[in-house]
Amino acid sequence: MEAFLSGADQLFNLPTLLTMLVGVIAGVIAAAIPGFTITMAIVLTLPLTFTMPPLQGVATMLAVYIGGYTGGMISAALLGIPGTPSAVATTFDAFPMARKGEPGRALALGVWASFFGTLISSVVLIIAAPPLAMIAVKLGSWEYFSLVIFALTIVASLVGSSMVRGLMAGMLGLLIATVGADPLMGVTRFTFDIPLLAAGVPFLVVLIGIFAVSQLLQEVENPEQIKQGKALISSNIDFHPLAVMREVLMQPINLLRSSLVGVFIGAVPGAGGSIANLLAYDQAKKGSRTPEAFGEGCSEGVVASESGNSATSGGGLIPLIALGIPGSAVDAVLMASLMVHGIGIGPRLILDHADTVYGMFMAMFLASAMMLIVCLLSMRLFLKVTNVPKSIIVPVVLTSCVVGTFTLNNRVTDIYLLLGIGIFGYVLTKLDYPLAPLVLGVILGPIAETNLRRALMTNEDWTLFFTRPVSLMLLMLAGVSIIMAIRYRIKHQRRTTALE
Amino acid sequence: MNDASRQARSPSDRARQVETRAKAMGHIVLNVILAILFIFLFLRAGSLPSSVWEPLGSGTFPRMVLAALVLFNGLIIATETRHFIAMPALPAKALSDWCYQHRLAFGVLGLFALFVLAVPIVGFRWASLPFLVTCQYLLGARHLRGILIAIAVALVMSFGIEALFRDVFTISLPRGLWN
Repeated sequence: MEAFLSGADQLFNLPTLLTMLVGVIAGVIAAAIPGFTITMAIVLTLPLTFTMPPLQGVATMLAVYIGGYTGGMISAALLGIPGTPSAVATTFDAFPMARKGEPGRALALGVWASFFGTLISSVVLIIAAPPLAMIAVKLGSWEYFSLVIFALTIVASLVGSSMVRGLMAGMLGLLIATVGADPLMGVTRFTFDIPLLAAGVPFLVVLIGIFAVSQLLQEVENPEQIKQGKALISSNIDFHPLAVMREVLMQPINLLRSSLVGVFIGAVPGAGGSIANLLAYDQAKKGSRTPEAFGEGCSEGVVASESGNSATSGGGLIPLIALGIPGSAVDAVLMASLMVHGIGIGPRLILDHADTVYGMFMAMFLASAMMLIVCLLSMRLFLKVTNVPKSIIVPVVLTSCVVGTFTLNNRVTDIYLLLGIGIFGYVLTKLDYPLAPLVLGVILGPIAETNLRRALMTNEDWTLFFTRPVSLMLLMLAGVSIIMAIRYRIKHQRRTTALE
Repeated sequence: MNDASRQARSPSDRARQVETRAKAMGHIVLNVILAILFIFLFLRAGSLPSSVWEPLGSGTFPRMVLAALVLFNGLIIATETRHFIAMPALPAKALSDWCYQHRLAFGVLGLFALFVLAVPIVGFRWASLPFLVTCQYLLGARHLRGILIAIAVALVMSFGIEALFRDVFTISLPRGLWN
């Protein structure tokens, strides 16, 4: 109790509250700009926290983190371009919803889902951190590989009109991920001594090129619309946050399931929000009574994606607090900020610095409340973006994509890659290839290859994938996932044929 | 006239047939090119070194992926060839009409390519400024008010962004060959 009160005392003072508020705003804005990631925002915040007391520094960074997870959905909903990798699935339904004249509803759904997702993950973090962390770190290469196989089955839900084209897009993603240094031996693959490819193809460059460039080019395809100075969304904009809150709360199972998916994926080191949003979306679609509505502006899809990605913030802290293992790059930076202040990270953290840990738990709740207030107050401002003519939006966003791509690694060659991938993405879009499986392939490719090879390096016996209980369970889940996707597809085809 | 063109009763049916045939052609061309590339990469991956420490070498995983990709290429080519044959021939001006319809997208893409290529030479500021002004002009900022707004937006997004990154984030955006 004493530690709890001490943590509360350190957190609830004016300087900490102010820096947290600034952190939330900075996170929302940074993640809303395509090309700028939460990791970049956190890294830029780190030096500013050196002069702060430990808890104030960590709380400020947690505020950036939570603000960032929500900010990523703003450009996903309004422009169809995910602001961060964790908002890819948000584009599937939030953007069509905005295009149908409901951008306010799309944003409010995302904000509320993010808020509840963060709250649920914070509760799980407090209750279940030690046991969940023990499970997460006991996963070996076999389990990781099986987890990736399970995640890859999402492709079956994202394929769009043609299964073969969707699978091919997913495989293309896996192939793109193999360019550059081999993850285990360091041998360069498919670079052909071209400096452009020497460092491989960074995942974020693929994400920005595939989604942003191709989406923006599609926006300017109709010369008549451009001539009339049309904005992205030309209808009147309504924003009713309380009505939307009720809509989100009317989906308790979807909200809880997606948040728990987010917590689990967040707790698994190396996974994170970029996978959680897609996995939560996929599970929501499979569990829905109206799966055919997904992709057309369905509220369940927005809630699943946003609660799933926001819940990874709490999930990621589970191995960090319980065992001192950072689950993602962002968690590693958080860990660094604590270490700078001389706080040792490891299983004894909760024993030696209980006040800081309790303070972090409270900071999660506080930051999510701040995010909610900031977003609800500023959404009308963000919605004005939809009234800006395309003639301004398109070049401005393209420029910000170039800036974001360059600042990822300070490499000019990355912007050449952005151009090439953007053109390739546009060609794929014109030929109806779904882009989400390609991005998923790029995310999962290195994890799949590393763990497959590591598992076989440890023991050449292939049957271990089927005899280790967690691995077997994940593979069985993957099988069920594929069967459900095929069943839905057959049902959908039968219905379409009957209608024709 | 083949069966499909005889069955096309309305102009929208005809337009759909043209689109199907054009897309089928696009799929075939794209997948043939990709299949050749993937076969080349598959052979190349075979020469990647393996290790005595692990049963799978550097080339195994890419080869598995490439083999699957070539299989998918084959399936798509087979399916789309059927569509291509079943649909009536494209009108003579189909390609040029399509290019004309997409002229703004190609214009923006061309300007974007010039911008990207100019960044390392003239620096971010001087590459982005003309890109932003020209692109906005191309997309409809033709009157005095529109041009003034375009110039203001361009200044903020080029000089403003460069100053923000340099002074606040201490990140230097490309300065070009002469700085």
